[in-house]
Amino acid sequence: MTDPRRTSFLKRVRSALGNPLRDESAISAAFADPRPAATAALAKRMRERPPEERAALLVRLSEAAEPLNIQLVQVPDETAAVEAIARIVANSLPEWGGEKRAAAWDHPLISALNLQDALADLGVPVFVTRPAPDVDRGRVRRAVADAFVGVTSAEWCVAATATLAARNPPGAPRSVSLVPSIHVAVIRAEQVVADFQELYALLNAEMDEEGRGLTDAMTFITGPSKTADIEATLVHGAHGPRELHLIVIHG
Amino acid sequence: MTPNQPHATLFIQCLVDGFYPEVAEAMVKVLRRLGVRLDCPTDQTCCGQPAFNSGYRGEARKAAKRFIALFENSAAIVCPSGSCATMVRRHYPELFESDGPWLERALRVADKTYELSQYLVDVLGVTDVGARFCGRITFHDSCHPLRYLGVREQPRRLIRAVAGAELVEMVDSDRCCGFGGAFSVKYPDISTAMVEYKAQRIIEAGVDAVVGCDMGCLMNIGGYLSRMGADVKVMHLAQLLAETGEG
Amino acid sequence: MAEIACERYKDMAATGIADPVLQRALINLQHRFGRGTAEAYRNLPEGPELRFQAKAIRQHAIDHLDLLLERLADKIEARGGHVFFAEDAEAAVTYCQKVADRRGVKRIVKGKSMVTEEIGLNPALMADGIEVTETDLGEYIVQLAGDHPSHIIAPAIHKTRKEIGRLFADKLGIPYTEDPPTLTRAARKALREKFMAADMGITGCNLACAQTGHITTLSNEGNIRMAATLPKTHIAVMGMERVAARLSDHAILFRLLAMGAAAQQMAGYVSYIGGPAGPDSLDGPEEFHLVILDNGRSRILADPEFREMLQCIRCAACLNVCPVYGEIGGHAYGYPYSGPVGAVVTPLLVGVNRAKDLCQGETLCGACRDACPVAIDIPRMLLALRAKLAVGDDRWNVAPAGPAERAVYRIWSRLIGNRRAYDLCLRAAGAGGRLLAGKDGMLGRLPGPLSGWTRSRNLPSPAAKSFMQRWKEMEGEGGSNHD
Repeated sequence: MTDPRRTSFLKRVRSALGNPLRDESAISAAFADPRPAATAALAKRMRERPPEERAALLVRLSEAAEPLNIQLVQVPDETAAVEAIARIVANSLPEWGGEKRAAAWDHPLISALNLQDALADLGVPVFVTRPAPDVDRGRVRRAVADAFVGVTSAEWCVAATATLAARNPPGAPRSVSLVPSIHVAVIRAEQVVADFQELYALLNAEMDEEGRGLTDAMTFITGPSKTADIEATLVHGAHGPRELHLIVIHG
Repeated sequence: MTPNQPHATLFIQCLVDGFYPEVAEAMVKVLRRLGVRLDCPTDQTCCGQPAFNSGYRGEARKAAKRFIALFENSAAIVCPSGSCATMVRRHYPELFESDGPWLERALRVADKTYELSQYLVDVLGVTDVGARFCGRITFHDSCHPLRYLGVREQPRRLIRAVAGAELVEMVDSDRCCGFGGAFSVKYPDISTAMVEYKAQRIIEAGVDAVVGCDMGCLMNIGGYLSRMGADVKVMHLAQLLAETGEG
Repeated sequence: MAEIACERYKDMAATGIADPVLQRALINLQHRFGRGTAEAYRNLPEGPELRFQAKAIRQHAIDHLDLLLERLADKIEARGGHVFFAEDAEAAVTYCQKVADRRGVKRIVKGKSMVTEEIGLNPALMADGIEVTETDLGEYIVQLAGDHPSHIIAPAIHKTRKEIGRLFADKLGIPYTEDPPTLTRAARKALREKFMAADMGITGCNLACAQTGHITTLSNEGNIRMAATLPKTHIAVMGMERVAARLSDHAILFRLLAMGAAAQQMAGYVSYIGGPAGPDSLDGPEEFHLVILDNGRSRILADPEFREMLQCIRCAACLNVCPVYGEIGGHAYGYPYSGPVGAVVTPLLVGVNRAKDLCQGETLCGACRDACPVAIDIPRMLLALRAKLAVGDDRWNVAPAGPAERAVYRIWSRLIGNRRAYDLCLRAAGAGGRLLAGKDGMLGRLPGPLSGWTRSRNLPSPAAKSFMQRWKEMEGEGGSNHD
């Protein structure tokens, strides 16, 4: 059953390391949190974060978003979020020509926005990535590629770097934040965390508490796609979205 | 002689000993002006750095042992070369990693070896040594004292305290000048390209003199500037600090 | 295996130095990224010690590498992924060829990956009649031009916008332009078609996570995400050292990687990939393969002198500060890994003797050590390699330096052991020097090994009297020793 290649490969690695003892305690030491006390303190800090600190995080987020060319929109409620999305859709043209189409995640926050109805007024159909058994991935791919706007949410947003982080369960495919020319992400203000230490502490906690682990894929997004490969000149929209709009719903 | 009078042993880089004795003399002048009692083991030759950098550790170890035997009874060892001071402070202990008794002796010597500006500022606590020099000066950071001994501010503080001198920073003062010992002879094209870059930054700075803490770099920079016919003086920090503006 | 041209270091270096366009591009890059990285480290809220914490994390991973790789492979296989352990380049390439063949692959899109350059993957797949398209903009430019990358992160740094404009006009049939946004858009359009048509994506792996069983890819352009998401088959190739033990280790390492690579706080995209698409996933590849490559790394691991090099996360921060790289460019190194990292890794991978110029043709200035996000002491390892080149080494099959060079150091060693003999020599050199010196006391042209120096620089003639002699005269006969 065991792959002989793997066995001899790992044997060679072990021998290069001087054949250290590999008992249960060595194995658990290899993966143990090196600073459990710090991790616990961090989790506590996040749980007990007072409102004024939350407000400060949003300020930090907007400061980080600006130099990255992220269009940050803060709105009071879902209705305003829908209006913001409709404005983006109305004011932009499909990069590759053709009709205006959008794609959106099958996700509680996004579904609550009822984009299909809202954008129907503009004559823009919305493809919702609803998981189904034996789904035709080719069809999904074409639908996402035909969309010029992709609407997703995220699980967390890191204020220090303006990074969106989301695991990709079946209803939240990664291509929606990648293939359309414009990416719109909608989150609630409570989803903003301070920095990467906090983000990873949350990811760890979820793993421990729910035994859920990460899904097969997880994506962090910091700004629209960019390149500086031609004479170190910054250009947006190398392969991924040219624009990233981040809509934060308060309250 | 007061009992608190500082006492230092001169560790003279072989390049200074053989090619630039005036730099060592300037250093003597400055230290004596500050009341430092000096001695100089005249049997000293080379710390072994050229061999060490070329991979000849056996030969470097031999040189190191000789150096340690000559200097280990000193109170403080002061060197006009940041690179040689780095050799003693950092690489001697590495050379004797697996030789207990010698490691101990190497560490003792390493702990009390200083590059000149380090000795003046960090040990003696002096920045104004009573020097006078009229002109604009730029400072070239030699790699080893900068990155291995943490010598960045010490020479600048000393230069700023020189009466009449104005310190002007060149672009990329901390970029290697391309000397690198044997490198400059083995890879002359690369070395020349590097010193050319350095010389251009010095000239751009529009200064009267470029000052440094290592004659290896200064020989390289000076050799290039002299070939160019550039009108910039190349001075060791000791020479600048020895200037009193008289004569 | 990639082509190895390390023996031509000096010639290629001279070519790079003589290219004014390259010179401007390199200094531009170094000023922008080199300084930006230093600034980013200075502003770290945790302080600059964070680099040493990152180093400890990398060392921990390397010290437990067998356990980490086992866990990584188990987790990926549990999700239906395939893991192939490749002892060398040939095994890795053959595996990729077989997968491509079995899947009937005709078109491959690639994300930038140094390790696939190292194993020479593209030429092998192309020889099988498969179209292989590099999709990182810089790599795409270099590939269209039939050239090699010259920088780990900025592969086309040696090309001007004019050259790229002509290249695109010629190969993509667009009207000539030298406007970077227009050129980028042309590549975006051409490559989008490639992404949609590709039946396989090949990427590298920046840093896997053993605890959770994921590989990760980082990019700014989004091309690697495309290559890993759209085609039906995804192969990721990773050097065996590119793994972290715990998920939380990434929190520090990714930030430092982004700072080292491009003076950013965070890369544009980070993707965690743990296997093929799940049964009800709407996108992602049907098949996922991870190739874990040794190819000489276990030999580095086994040598305590060089094990530290496996901490490297290939961010290229060292290239962005190296004054030698800044003059000669990446092609001079004659192997995919250039700059200070190449000067250590390449000799260890391809043979120390044949790559000797890489480790000797550096000044040991130490700028790379300060720029490295995991504080790798590259100068220490360059010195260790030089020691092997001087006296030879069985473990690494290094032949010692020739008898002439060894004789020089033997004689030097005797000479500095005896001040009297040393003085005689100094005086002889002084007399000779004064004979040859010009009016200014400078030597303008010397023969033999010193001719390289005097081609561009003057050399002072030795002093008539050494300082030691002067000191003795000043202090009275016998000089002053310890009193």
